[in-house]
Amino acid sequence: MGRAAAEPDASGPRPTAAARRVRLTFATALRDYGIYFALAGLVAYFSVAVPQFRSAENGLLILLQVSVIGIISIGMTFTILTAGIDLSVGSLLAVAGMLSGIFAQREPTILNVGLALALPIAVGIVGGALNGLVIAWAGVNPLIVTLGTLTAYRGFVVWYRVNPIYDLQPYYRVIGQGALGPVPIPVLILLLMAIAAGVVLNYTRFGRYVYVVGGNRDAARAAGISVPLMTFSVYVISGFCVGLAALIFTSRLMAAQAISGQGFELQAIAAAVVGGASLFGGRGRISNTIVGALIMGVLFNGLVMLNVPAPVQQMAIGVIIIAAVWLDGVLRQRR
Amino acid sequence: MQDVTKAFGTTVAVDAVDLDLAAGEVHALVGENGAGKSTLMRVLAGFYADYAGGIIIDGRPVRIGHPRQARALGIALVHQELSLVPELSVAENIFLGREPYSLVPGFISQRAAEAGARALCDGLGISLDPAARVLHLSVAERQLVEIAKGVSANPRVLILDEPTSSLTYQEVRELFRVVRSLASRGRAIVYISHKLDEIFAVADHVTVLRDGRRVATAPAARWTEASLVHAMVGRDLSSLFPRSPADPGPVRLEVRDLGCRAAFRAVSFQVRGGEVVGLYGLIGSGRTALAEALFGLGAADAGEIRVDGRRVTIGSPADAISHGIALTPEDRRRRGLIPMLSLRTNLSLRALPLLCRAGFVDGRRERSEVGRLIDALAIRAASQSVEVSTLSGGTQQKVVIGRWLMAPPRILILDEPTRGIDVGAKAEVHAIIDRLASDGMAVLLVSSELPEILGMSDRILVMRDGELAGEFRRGEVTEEGIMTVAAGVAAAGRPDV
Repeated sequence: MGRAAAEPDASGPRPTAAARRVRLTFATALRDYGIYFALAGLVAYFSVAVPQFRSAENGLLILLQVSVIGIISIGMTFTILTAGIDLSVGSLLAVAGMLSGIFAQREPTILNVGLALALPIAVGIVGGALNGLVIAWAGVNPLIVTLGTLTAYRGFVVWYRVNPIYDLQPYYRVIGQGALGPVPIPVLILLLMAIAAGVVLNYTRFGRYVYVVGGNRDAARAAGISVPLMTFSVYVISGFCVGLAALIFTSRLMAAQAISGQGFELQAIAAAVVGGASLFGGRGRISNTIVGALIMGVLFNGLVMLNVPAPVQQMAIGVIIIAAVWLDGVLRQRR
Repeated sequence: MQDVTKAFGTTVAVDAVDLDLAAGEVHALVGENGAGKSTLMRVLAGFYADYAGGIIIDGRPVRIGHPRQARALGIALVHQELSLVPELSVAENIFLGREPYSLVPGFISQRAAEAGARALCDGLGISLDPAARVLHLSVAERQLVEIAKGVSANPRVLILDEPTSSLTYQEVRELFRVVRSLASRGRAIVYISHKLDEIFAVADHVTVLRDGRRVATAPAARWTEASLVHAMVGRDLSSLFPRSPADPGPVRLEVRDLGCRAAFRAVSFQVRGGEVVGLYGLIGSGRTALAEALFGLGAADAGEIRVDGRRVTIGSPADAISHGIALTPEDRRRRGLIPMLSLRTNLSLRALPLLCRAGFVDGRRERSEVGRLIDALAIRAASQSVEVSTLSGGTQQKVVIGRWLMAPPRILILDEPTRGIDVGAKAEVHAIIDRLASDGMAVLLVSSELPEILGMSDRILVMRDGELAGEFRRGEVTEEGIMTVAAGVAAAGRPDV
């Protein structure tokens, strides 16, 4: 395109260069921070419409409700950034949760407690690594692979233990239901994970390479980056997040169920996508994903308080997701 | 077109341009990348509803806000990026959007389409099977289909936007014949290009655009290459190939009997530090495969590669990089740039390990190193954080080359480094190459532009059919001499002037 006009023109129907510049910076601000405005708008609306909404407790409640999906969506952001996707997160959560529950049920010896806490994370990592191995080195499409593992992992956990485990030891409650002062532990974990992930993506070489691999795989290879290794890593990260989320989820529920986690993958993807991540890779930020999750959390919370029936809530959230992505596309065109 | 202006946001692409097109005339529209040529024509073709200024056709002022309107007025645009549907046939593509209906309402008459297509092609002197799927056609043939598509609407004005970017000598001459026959039948033809020798071969009139403004219009006969470049760029032609005398140092890269299955065999040559070795070859000669084998993008299965005297195996780009070899790819968009990432990220990619401490990127160092590189390469961009997809072709090419300069390699292979960029940016890239060589880098310049090879190389290697067919020193050979060796026959020479 041509270079900027040398001097602003006095005559003619054209807007002045200055006016154009103002409009452009506004459009850029809207594109980069639009979801923050949207979140603020939603919070403002519900604060006015529903008095119970406007309290610190409710705020923490929303964060708590969002924490499990939020942690999963952090891992999902990594895979989406590489132009991949992880559909197996819900099923993997059930597997990890079940294995954790088995040991959480037993007498609280050091070994059992240790296993109850560490096993879900280990299972998450292994599940993610399995995805990563096939995607990175067998070169199968991530959508297909994780669709397969979604089914396989679910089948596994149902086969392994179809009946839920309810009688978990009391100590197990702490992770999902405990708090540090006023802040629930899951929220703390979500915050820590978000900060860590954000730091990795923005300030480390590894994080930079994630964007590069997603942005242009051939260019990444031509620059000497090991694309298979990077691809493998993001699925391991996703699995790790799932394991952590499984621990929190099972603890909150105080039950390990084979049917847990159904539909979580779509919610996590929605959070990332509403947050502006591109499914084609190379675009997205952790902070924005968290805001995306919060938008949906706020919507859900607010609509419940307004006594909107559940199916209508779902419709509303569905429309919001579509609108958010459409808007992001529109704002990106206007340069 | 009178006083036409078009802006995108704050950028004014076309600034009060006047253009007169007469029937039966080939009018060339020339300018650097970003000068506004394509934008101006897209205004005429109805792609932009929000332009300022007037368009007058046959004396009547009109306002063209939609491509369909433009088509109805008899204006056809043949795109630079081919807009054919590969899975459909030639006939189907030609009549896309205007399919002839059969007797049954709503159904398309295949026969009518094919007959129409055949008549069209015969009229143009093109021999193509209308039922053939575009998928199976060569790039040159596809270009001809595009032109047939443009002509099929029987336009008054036919606009050709950079039609020869993927064509060979012979194919270009064929194209010129078609263009001239179309002109002789009373159409006004606009020919957009930045290839100067083509302009002189085919145009009657030439208009030069620079920075969105019309600089000059004159009959082709009144321009010389130098005056044309001067109008386009505002500078002199002499600095297009700034190659200082070479001072070759030790042998950096040595290739002995290198072969790669079907692509090439028994290739041996040396590249010394401080010299620019040009590698020329026609399509199919194996020159791209050779460059890729040296960088690990393809694997050589015979012979050896030596870097600084030591034998090395190169199986991947990471291997090549570790031995100090760098390659700027031919297709910068596919292999070079990461379009949605920033200028800074693209430039610092290669050197990132060096800018890191314990896995963390040193932001301040990165910014200052990138800033240094931007100054050294005269990269014009609003800031380090702009997306590279918004930069012009010439600037993008500088980014692709620049990426390797932060941690300079010992051996730099440039594959078509000035493909598709304008004269001004070309000169700048050449100056950079010259500077690198003078600083001691061993440079292998792979190019299909003869003037570039002749102007920049200290030694020239010519490949033909997978073998090294000739080696010349600077000044020993002419364009025709190289073509003779490369094609194995007497040179076809330039398209007739």
